[in-house]
Amino acid sequence: MIREVITDVLLALAVLTVAASAVGVAIVPDTYARLHYVTPAAVVAPVLVALAVFVTEGLDVNTGETVVALVFMIAAAPFLSHATIRAIRVREAGDWRDRPPTEHTEHTEHTDSTRARDSR
Amino acid sequence: MTSFVIAAVAMLIALVPAGITIARGTLADAVIGFELVTSVAVMVFALLAEGFKRPSLFEFPVILALLLFGSGLVFVRALERWL
Repeated sequence: MIREVITDVLLALAVLTVAASAVGVAIVPDTYARLHYVTPAAVVAPVLVALAVFVTEGLDVNTGETVVALVFMIAAAPFLSHATIRAIRVREAGDWRDRPPTEHTEHTEHTDSTRARDSR
Repeated sequence: MTSFVIAAVAMLIALVPAGITIARGTLADAVIGFELVTSVAVMVFALLAEGFKRPSLFEFPVILALLLFGSGLVFVRALERWL
């Protein structure tokens, strides 16, 4: 009985987390801010689901496979968020850095050539 | 119907705002919505496997979690280079 209650509470929290994330993704106007709302659904909610499976099943194969999926998701989330932010930045600004690389290279070459001329 | 199945259905219903973002937002917003939906799909597979008491179905969330990483990177790379 107590296990069922704990499971239901964990599942309800997971569903609420996903719902809040989905609403956040929908209503936030900025694209960069939108990505923040993916993290709770990709990291917090799977932990709650894995805990719910653990409370129901105990330590068995099902719990183990759920935990493996959870580990993959948690490991992938930061890389995916970083790659997405980088892609959006490249689309908007042409490069992910503040200064385009060609401009920086030209400046360096100019400085080097000036130093070479001065040293003669 | 167990609480796991109910949670799976509730999660799918909760994804409607993300679906609207995918359908009506910009390309970057759609990719972000896609990442949210795939993350939730992993949980829905696990919840359904537990809800219907099918241990063999627990392999789907593991495989999907692996593919989520690869497919997400492919999407953002395409978004960065070609779209």
